[in-house]
Amino acid sequence: MAVDNPVTDELLKRPLYVYDLPQELLATLSVKNEVQPVDIQNDAETAQSQPKELALEHTVASTTSCALCKVSYLNVQEQRDHARSDHHRYNLKAQLRGNPPLDEAQFNKAVGELDESISGSESSEGDEEDEPSDVTLTALLKRQAKISQEAEEGDTTMSKRKPGKHPLFWFSSSLFPTNTSLGIYKALFTGVEQEETKYLAGSLRKKQLSPIYPQRNNAQDTEKTSSSSSPHVFLCMIGGGHFAAMLVSLAPEIHRRQGGFEERQARVIAHKTFHRYTTRRKQGGSQSASDASRGAAHSAGSSLRRYNEAALEKEIRELLADWKKAIDDAQLLFIRATGSTNRRILFGQYDGQVLRQNDPRLRGFPFSTRRATQGELMRCFKELTRVKVSQIDEAALAAAKAKQQEPAKPSTPRPQQQKPKISKEEEAALLHTSQIQALIRRSKVPALMSYISNNSIPPSFTFLPSDTQQNFRCPTPLHLAANLNSPSVVTALLTKASADPTTINGEGKTPFELAGDRATRDAFRVARHELGETKWNWDASKVPPALSKADVESRAARERKSAEEEEANRRKIEMDRLRKEDAERAARQQESKRTGGKMLGSVEKTAADKREEEMRGMTREMRMRLERERRARAAEERIRRMQGR
Amino acid sequence: MEWNGKTDIVELHSVFEAELQDVIPICHASIAGTRIIGRLTVGNKNGLLVPTTTTDQELQHLRNTLPENVKIQRIEERLSALGNVICCNDHVALVHPDLERETEEIIADVLGVEVFRQTVADNVLTGSYMALSNQGGIVHPKTSVRDQDELSSLLQVPLVAGSVNRGSPVVGAGLVVNDWMAVTGLDTTATELSVIESVFRLGEMGPGGAGGAGTNKESIVESFY
Repeated sequence: MAVDNPVTDELLKRPLYVYDLPQELLATLSVKNEVQPVDIQNDAETAQSQPKELALEHTVASTTSCALCKVSYLNVQEQRDHARSDHHRYNLKAQLRGNPPLDEAQFNKAVGELDESISGSESSEGDEEDEPSDVTLTALLKRQAKISQEAEEGDTTMSKRKPGKHPLFWFSSSLFPTNTSLGIYKALFTGVEQEETKYLAGSLRKKQLSPIYPQRNNAQDTEKTSSSSSPHVFLCMIGGGHFAAMLVSLAPEIHRRQGGFEERQARVIAHKTFHRYTTRRKQGGSQSASDASRGAAHSAGSSLRRYNEAALEKEIRELLADWKKAIDDAQLLFIRATGSTNRRILFGQYDGQVLRQNDPRLRGFPFSTRRATQGELMRCFKELTRVKVSQIDEAALAAAKAKQQEPAKPSTPRPQQQKPKISKEEEAALLHTSQIQALIRRSKVPALMSYISNNSIPPSFTFLPSDTQQNFRCPTPLHLAANLNSPSVVTALLTKASADPTTINGEGKTPFELAGDRATRDAFRVARHELGETKWNWDASKVPPALSKADVESRAARERKSAEEEEANRRKIEMDRLRKEDAERAARQQESKRTGGKMLGSVEKTAADKREEEMRGMTREMRMRLERERRARAAEERIRRMQGR
Repeated sequence: MEWNGKTDIVELHSVFEAELQDVIPICHASIAGTRIIGRLTVGNKNGLLVPTTTTDQELQHLRNTLPENVKIQRIEERLSALGNVICCNDHVALVHPDLERETEEIIADVLGVEVFRQTVADNVLTGSYMALSNQGGIVHPKTSVRDQDELSSLLQVPLVAGSVNRGSPVVGAGLVVNDWMAVTGLDTTATELSVIESVFRLGEMGPGGAGGAGTNKESIVESFY
């Protein structure tokens, strides 16, 4: 059983194809997670032979088995452990309820399924775990009661599949380390093979096909004939007006590449895709569904879609009829058709129906698929026929699980033990990190300074944990302050906390380079001025030449001044422009007054007339208000004119 | 022994007293005001379990009468006829499958036994359908051979299927047994008695056996002390 790593690596280096597995691997393959095959028959026989002598001598029987659970054990201790296990207790209760007892694998599976919904522990090893396991058991029994009812109802339909089954069969091989297991989709096995889990490896061996080397020369027609008889599968997807179907030969085709490198390729016997506009854009659903639910619409789009649906159905059915022979010969039919419309197209009753709903070869895709395209079909085929390699350290997993369960015990409050790797210093550093980051974020300069001095945090302090994205970019307080554009914090850190501006972050940048605005950059330059050129290697910190505070202020004043001047200038220009425009308009108006004639039939009204007209039909209050407004306007006008002069 | 009256019990007391007065101290007790002690309680050399219906006075009386090293515990359990749902010797106990987890722990602690939830011939009342001592046990007459073997292996004592009181399958209730003697109902046939004697090894201590007939009382006494 010595595991040769090179061999394993060699085997696992290339993707394994289910129908063309290496010989040495096939020979050693065995199904995982199987209970040790227990020969109940034999046990029964020995039991039959024993009682006579037992009755005579009254000796202690040595039948270390459990007829109820159909398991046998080597010694009494194991048998006793079993009698205390959840499995046995479950079966005991199931028997009393009239449910069929489960064997160990089934029981574990049932509990596993249950684990998704409740957080009970699976193992019943420790007495401490009794509560959760009790919960598990009762939950399982409840659920089992439901399932058994359902099963009775649906007994007539053949081989109803249980919900939540794992889609893969797992195999192990002595060639690989124990933590490596190979997964093969259950869907690739026939129903009979799936039932007989013991002989899975054997049936897998039977499935092997020798690869095909394509003939160089024009042997096209002979190849065609051989292809139709060679084992192949049919894949098809339909949905949203897209349809894709493909016949793929299971025997892989070997292509020789340059350098004698052999490449395996799936051989597509035939493929076809259709696309028709059938779905209602922005509404969803098919036109026929919409018609059925709220009556036929009479829009142009709806008739288009109705036509397209019919056309798609026709095309698909014609294609299926074309491929009928190949489909009938196909080993498996993988079909994705969700929704009644789509299923009707494929399985609906019609003349010359090709696909039947009760076909035992029928399979769904046991994984999620995307839009029905040829590429997607190819991907699905590869996914289906590739052997999954999983490397799980089961011992470590079990240990992790045990560890997980341990802190769950309510009686032992040990929060410290949960993270055993964190030392006291690290814990303190984590605390400081969160505190300092919070203070910098809120620009609490005095609080930050007092925090740093109180906790005597060194200037070289870096944030923990260093692997988060933020701490990668801003590993020091100075980086963080610069990144947040907080000049006051930058100044304080540089001048008071003597933070090092030359430290670089994970991206190789100094704090200065993270500064996003001028004020922050100035804070660095001012600090350079205040601290002096000798304090740090300022060139390494990328801080530009020093700048005194006075300089900054005078510069700011200068800038403010120039900005004000600019603004004043702009105003002046604008005012001039407006004035000019006003003048122009007035001139134009005068001109138009002079030249423009009067409208026919309109008599020039006096101002008093106009006022009279406006006030007609108004109440007294409204009139008074209007009057007041008019007077106010007149007064404003007067004032404006006086100021204008 | 399906008793049906006060007088019977008094009579029974007198029989036991007559037989065992100078060997085993006998005390009168009641549980929840009734005299049905055997079916409501269960115990072994380590302890005695009484149901929740036991009054404080009764508990105190039991405490006063039993030796110091025998623990007494009152159990809060829905299935209160402890003698019917628990069957134990000094090492193991078979209990009703529906017994609460807490009760199971108490049984293990007080009686110092390993506890298994089991059925006897598909009956949940293990205490009723099984009589057990440290030497052997007798189970419901319809227990399958396979089940007998498994139980025997589990308990590590020889088991036999049998009946008492002229064919009654309720062996646990119809028979009281310890490692030295067994007492059965008057109806028990000779065949039944011989099965009981052989499986509990009651005849091996002295000549002629030490059955409930009380013929060889002296031998019991000798081996007892």
